[in-house]
Amino acid sequence: MLKNYIKTAWRNLWKGRVFNIMNIIGLSVAVACCIMLFLTVYYEFSYDKFHANLDKIHQFYFTKNGAEKVEKATSMPAPLTPAVKAEYQDIKYITRMSNGGTVVRYGDKQLEESIHFVDPDFLKMFTFPVVKGNTDAPLKDLNDVVLTEFAATAIFGKTDPIGKSVELNYSGEPKTFVVSAVVKDFPPNSSIGFDVLLRFENTPTYQANMKSWDHHDHSVFVQLNDNVEPAAFESRLQNFVKKTFKTTIADMKRDGARPDAQGNVYTLNLLPFADNHFDTELVGLEGNSVSKIYVLALLAIGIFILVIACINFVNLSVARAFTRAREVGVRKTLGAGKWQLLTQFWVETLLVCLFALVLGIIMANFALPGFKATFRSQVSMSMLLQPIQLVVIIGLFVLITIIAGLYPALLMMRYKTVMVLKGSVNTVKPGKVRNILLVTQFSLSTLLIVCTLITWQQINYFKNKPLGYSKDEVVSIPVGNSVNGARALELFRNQLNGQPGVVAISGAYDNMGNGKDGSTRTSIIGFTYKGHDVRTNIQGVSYDYAKTMGIQMIDGRDFSREFATDSNAIVVNEKMAAQLGRKNVVGTYVAMDEKHPQLVVGVMKNFHFRSLRTEIEPLTLVLSGYEMNYIFVKVRPQNLSQTFNMIEQKWKQTFPNAEFQGSWINENTERQYKAEQRLSTIFISGAIIAIIISCIGLLAISFMIMVQRTKEIGIRKVLGANIAGLVLLLSRDFLKLVLLAAVIAFPIAWWLMNQWLQSFVYRIDIQWWIFALAAFIAVFIAFITVSFQSIKAALANPVRSLRSE
Amino acid sequence: MLSLQHISKYYQTGGNKTFVLNDLSLDIDQGEFVSIMGPSGSGKSTLLNIIGMLDEPTSGYHYFMDQPVHQLKEKQRSALYKQYIGFVFQAYHLIDELTVLENIETPLIYQNIKGAERKALVADMLDRFNIVGKKDLFPAQLSGGQQQLVGIARALIGKPKLLLADEPTGNLNSKQGEEIMELFKKINKEDGVTIIQVTHSEKNAEYGSRIINLLDGRIESTTTL
Repeated sequence: MLKNYIKTAWRNLWKGRVFNIMNIIGLSVAVACCIMLFLTVYYEFSYDKFHANLDKIHQFYFTKNGAEKVEKATSMPAPLTPAVKAEYQDIKYITRMSNGGTVVRYGDKQLEESIHFVDPDFLKMFTFPVVKGNTDAPLKDLNDVVLTEFAATAIFGKTDPIGKSVELNYSGEPKTFVVSAVVKDFPPNSSIGFDVLLRFENTPTYQANMKSWDHHDHSVFVQLNDNVEPAAFESRLQNFVKKTFKTTIADMKRDGARPDAQGNVYTLNLLPFADNHFDTELVGLEGNSVSKIYVLALLAIGIFILVIACINFVNLSVARAFTRAREVGVRKTLGAGKWQLLTQFWVETLLVCLFALVLGIIMANFALPGFKATFRSQVSMSMLLQPIQLVVIIGLFVLITIIAGLYPALLMMRYKTVMVLKGSVNTVKPGKVRNILLVTQFSLSTLLIVCTLITWQQINYFKNKPLGYSKDEVVSIPVGNSVNGARALELFRNQLNGQPGVVAISGAYDNMGNGKDGSTRTSIIGFTYKGHDVRTNIQGVSYDYAKTMGIQMIDGRDFSREFATDSNAIVVNEKMAAQLGRKNVVGTYVAMDEKHPQLVVGVMKNFHFRSLRTEIEPLTLVLSGYEMNYIFVKVRPQNLSQTFNMIEQKWKQTFPNAEFQGSWINENTERQYKAEQRLSTIFISGAIIAIIISCIGLLAISFMIMVQRTKEIGIRKVLGANIAGLVLLLSRDFLKLVLLAAVIAFPIAWWLMNQWLQSFVYRIDIQWWIFALAAFIAVFIAFITVSFQSIKAALANPVRSLRSE
Repeated sequence: MLSLQHISKYYQTGGNKTFVLNDLSLDIDQGEFVSIMGPSGSGKSTLLNIIGMLDEPTSGYHYFMDQPVHQLKEKQRSALYKQYIGFVFQAYHLIDELTVLENIETPLIYQNIKGAERKALVADMLDRFNIVGKKDLFPAQLSGGQQQLVGIARALIGKPKLLLADEPTGNLNSKQGEEIMELFKKINKEDGVTIIQVTHSEKNAEYGSRIINLLDGRIESTTTL
């Protein structure tokens, strides 16, 4: 019986191959997209799931309910951890964690590796199992070092690393450590990533800060005892906070802090580590957090495309059903039961879907490298073979075949056998269901078009908004770990001095935008000034910073070598000046550090030193006390690429051991909006695929309709209708549906994009013409699609169409 | 074998009832060969479809093989139909995607007969109708007469007690028509299959043992030959 079904199914599919190929193409493209998108979504949601104690691990963060805003910070003071651990029984394990980079030396081998400085509890909380060496207490001694398998192989090759001594240089002077254990490599979906683990006590500033409650510079993770509720623990922590941070709380209250619901202005809170990957609100979390919106957008687009393709499938099957009504009738007279017929059609659907699935998987395989590069996705096809994915795929597959195959089959079964056999199937009703499905398809497509247009507009706005400094003619060069920044700056300054094309050279603690080194630094200082709390970003700079960056001074001057006292001077931006609350701040002293009041020598015009997602904040430039991590070179606008090459060459000559990672600042600022750019790429690809699949469906349906209306067209032509009129007549019904779809999509699109735009401080307004343009695009594409058939139908010779009736 | 009592079939058009069959009663015995005649619109085909359970009367009683068809559920009716009735159409209605052999085999599949048995039955039938050489052809490759032959073979494969034919020679030329009618006569005589045919042709009607003339949904006259 099944063999027979498959045979008939195959012949039927072959007979309707034009339709079926359309069907299969649409469906397989959708399958390919869905595989990639859903795997990415799955991957993002699988982050950190490999930790056995994931549910019980939390990260500490402080919440400051200030007068104007609520600030959350994950950095903790060093004495906090021992103090909290001693005071609370709720804590099973607790670890501090701070990150850094190091040069590892073993024999004559020298490698750059990343370090995590942690407490011994770290390896008990997180699932990084020891595969070799001391399994009980790998970080017992201060000079113990734990490596990942990957790092161990890189350093030691095939030699057994346990017990070997290595030299680590992470603070300027090399220290010797003994390898105590090797841990298993962690999967790529881990927020915490490291090569080397050292005891926290080895951090370069530990001795200086071990008793300081004011210096917040590392993260703290806790694992609570099994029966402890995080919320209850949080409220118990409040006693400790009130006791320990008495002065902070008093200062905040003085400055008009707004207490939260429990009446606290300063609290210590817990962030579940399970939420770590999707938390984009807190700064300074481990790993690269991803906005949940981004992941959900992927999921939504995947579902949209799948729905659109399934609708096609149903519509195409229904269209084909008309031509197969007779067969159903005959089979009924031959004694076919309802279920036998349904099974037959289901088998056909199954075959088509199977084709599409296989083709889709093949397509996905080919498209995956490009997809991974574009969307920074870590997925691989082998992920499909995991049990959960297999169950989901098979389940989804069967569900789709049932929905898409059974509905048209049921429709065919409804035809009266007698009527069918007489050849008078005139069940050519426009089909409410078909129209609803078409409208759904085009609503989704229009929605994606609007999203595309708006994200594109916003990105463009980012790119073109003046930032208040010169970004097109400045090269930013990360200095790197191997050279001392200040010395490097001096050396390079001398090298470039007098070079044609170079206008000015300076250096700074923090980069502009995201450089090729990928790091960003934030340094914020809070102090009391004339009885109120002042907070400012601090940027350590070298001479000529304003000149190099093209920052305008509105009062006073930039740092100058002519004033020896400038080492204790500051330059502030307008925001900071406003905070100081004086008309002429130039010439006044500000005591950021109680012992050394600093002279304000200049006020800069506000500029966007951070991304356009945030408001411009108060900024203070200082000349001393900060590493010069970046060198900036301003060049003349002529021969930009030539000058860039010259700078690169000079760099390599001057620092043969340091990698040149220089880039134009405009590249750096664009890199800040990578997430938005990715989102926009996703929307564009999604919209294009959705439109194409929708159009395949529209093409097939219009073809069916034209066949059904051949006689009408013939009669109209005989009565004197012209071609243009006929094309319009035939296309009008479809265009109405597409327009309706667009109108339905508008409010949803507006709401969605408005939500998205809210996350930017500097954003475009959604304009009405975006919607008009989206509707026009949808209608235009639909019209082109339909006209293929309608023009053909209108041009046909009426004599033939009428004779055939 | 078959008994129709006070069968009516009408459509409601506006306030009026349009009768296709009007209080019609008819009994047919095992082994009869009945021809139904009448002008267009007299209800011949509707009557045949009701007998064949493809259509339902608006009112009346319908007994087939001592079963009250008008009371049966869809499923039981379908089972009854599958077991006892074969249908032959004017337009042959072969399934285009199936070969001659597969077309003939299809009813057996729906009767859940095993593959080996199906093959034997179909081989017999092909043999009997002299179409063994054509078994792998598709309907489009056959002439009208040959197609109708396949149609009849398909109708007979399930060993029905009753064969219903709706103008079986309507699309054929006179020679092909004659052959088909001879075949019907032979089936009726040799296999004892009861045949009811609808026809426009006096000549074809005379192959039967009884001619029923319909007019406006009623039996106008019955002639026994």
